[in-house]
Order: sequence, then structure tokens, then C-alpha cells
Amino acid sequence: MPQLNPEFFVSQLFWLAVFFSFLLIFLWRISLPRIATVLEKRHNKINENLSNAKELQEQAKEIEKNINLQINNAKQKTDEQIKKTISSLQDEVSSKLNTIDRELEEKISNSEKQIIKNRDSQMKNINDEIANITKITVAKISDLKLSDNDINQAIKILKGKLN
Amino acid sequence: MAAKDSPLKQFEIDPISNIELGDYNLSFTNSSFAMLITVLVITLFLTLTVNTKSIIPSRMQLISELMYNFIAQLLSDTVGDNGKKYFPFVFSLFMFVLIGNMVGMIPYQFTFTSHIIVTFALASIVFIGVTILGFVNHGIKFFTFFYIPGVPFYMHPLLIPIEVISYLSRPISLSVRLFANMLAGHTLLKVFAGFVVSMPFFTGVFPLAFIVALTGLEILIAFLQAYVFAILTCLYINDAYHLH
Repeated sequence: MPQLNPEFFVSQLFWLAVFFSFLLIFLWRISLPRIATVLEKRHNKINENLSNAKELQEQAKEIEKNINLQINNAKQKTDEQIKKTISSLQDEVSSKLNTIDRELEEKISNSEKQIIKNRDSQMKNINDEIANITKITVAKISDLKLSDNDINQAIKILKGKLN
Repeated sequence: MAAKDSPLKQFEIDPISNIELGDYNLSFTNSSFAMLITVLVITLFLTLTVNTKSIIPSRMQLISELMYNFIAQLLSDTVGDNGKKYFPFVFSLFMFVLIGNMVGMIPYQFTFTSHIIVTFALASIVFIGVTILGFVNHGIKFFTFFYIPGVPFYMHPLLIPIEVISYLSRPISLSVRLFANMLAGHTLLKVFAGFVVSMPFFTGVFPLAFIVALTGLEILIAFLQAYVFAILTCLYINDAYHLH
């Protein structure tokens, strides 16, 4: 077995020592610190991005809150406005209705007065006509000539009896 | 079977250039060449892929980061915060063994992790380092590591030697595990490769198909052994901090 031949043991050990120490020192001093810096840099970058994202998220939440607040305010304002408008309109309508009612009442009472007046005047005319007709009728059927006064008295007496 | 056809021939060391220092033969061999390739692959890959240092990684950079995180996670899971200091060492060890195994999977390429002397040296570094660490952290109390609490007192004469032996055999088990896996895998591949050539007509297709499947398995083992080497190192480091 060539492995047990001590001829090259020293040579193997010597070159192993040379190459392994070179490798160890090279990796220790040059390669590994490089990889370590890259890894650290990436780690920091990721953390930085994460914290940035968190901050932005908080800002977004704040903005959302503000928006909601403003929307609520606007809603309240419009509600108030609507209520105000409705009540003012109701006031106006009721006042208008009142004036219309009053006018109507006035007109009705005026009309009633007119009607009563007309009736009275008509009644008077009727009385005159009755007297006239009576006069003419009496003159036709008899020779009596009645004066207007007589007829009026007679009518009064009859009216009194009727009443 | 002739010596040149032996499946173990692939583990033979050939000097590329002969270097002698005093009485020592420090020849640059095919094993050293494989180590050189391994170190070059690791350093170039880990340097070039992370060159841009971009926050959004390219695919290659992602692989480097994955390896980094894999070992970092392993170390923090087993040792905890104390382990950060040893990260470069464990990472280097893992990458050296892993890429060494992978380079060995290239056909005709030498596998230096299939040599017991190399794996034993690596395991010894871990063993000696961890033992020193244990003494630095706990002083003389480190010997209580071999004393198992909650056991009847008459068992201790039996248990303490067992604990000592198991502790001392750590570098052997650690190195032999890696060495034997690599040796067995590559030998098996070679044996079946011999079948492909020597079997008559087209029946050589069957061992060939087996080799294809076995290559996949070997790549898995190459990773697994590197992982086991790294995780055991982490566990030993943990033991040096928390005796029980």
C-alpha cells in the first residue's frame, strides 16, 4: 500500500503545512471578511428597508385616520345643513299657509256681507213688486183705488200675522 | 495481477520536482500538486465570486455565501458564541477536505485525502489544538473530562481508562475515517474500471453503469466526509469549552 511507504511522509507533511497555512491565512484575512461584509451589508439593508416599510405603514395609517375624520366631519356638516334647510322651508310654508288662510277668511267674510246686503235689497224689491202687483190686481178686479200706503200697511199686518 | 495494474497504483506518489533540504526529501509531488490545485480553486473561487460585493448576489457569489453560512451555522449550533473565533480554521479545514476530495474525483487526478499521513496530520492539528484549548480554558480541571459524574464509584477504575483511550483515539478515528473512505471508494472505482476493460464483448457496459452510479455516490461521500470532519472538529471544540 503506497500510503504506508514513509519515503514521502516528510514531503507530504511539508507541503500540507505550506498549503494549509496559506489557505488558512488567506481565507482568514481576505476571503472570509469579504463575505462577512457582504452578508452584513445585506442584513443591514434588509433591516433598513423593513424599518422604512414600517414607518411608511404608520404614516399611511395616520393619513387614513385623517381621511376618515374629514369624511365624518363633512357628513355631519351636510346633515346639519340639510336639517337647517328643511326647518327653514317648513317655516316658510307654514307662514305662507297662514297668510293664505287669513286672506281667504277675509274674502269669505266680505262675500258673506255682500250676500246679506244683496238679499236685503232684493227683499225690498220684492216687497215693492208685491205692492205693485197687488195694486194692479185690485184695480183690475174692483174699482177700489188703493194708495201705496194702504197696501204697505196691509202687507205689514199680514206679515205680522204670518210671523 | 501485475503491479502496474493494481487498483492501489493510483495512490502512488510521483515526485514532479526533486527538492532536498538537508536529510529531508521535500519533493514537490503529485500529492503536493493536488493540494496546490485545491488551494487555488478555493482561494480563487472565494475571491472572484465575492469580488463585486453586491447586495443582490450572483449565482456564484451565492454559492460562496452558502458555504460560509453552512459552516457558520454548524459552528454556532454546536459550539455557540465561543465558536466564532475558530470559524476561519473550521472553514478552511472543511473547504480543504471537501475540495481535496472533489479534485480527487477528477479522473487521473491524485487524491491527497486518501493518504493517512495527510489526514492524520489534519486530525492531529485538531486534536492538539483542542487539547491545548481545554487546558487553557479549564487548567488542571480539564482532567475531570475523563470523570463521568453520576456513575457508581466502583465503575470509575474501568470507565476512566476507557474515556482516556477514547479521547486519545480521536485523531486516529478522525483521520482513518476520511482516509479509509477515500481509499475504499477510489479502489472500488478502479476495480470496476478494470472489469470494464477485461470483460468480453459488450458486457463491460454493466460495470460501466455501476461506475457511473458509484461516481455519484463517491461525490456524496466526498461531501459527507468533509462535513463529518468539520462537525467532529466543532464537537471537539465544544468539548474543550463544556467538559460535560
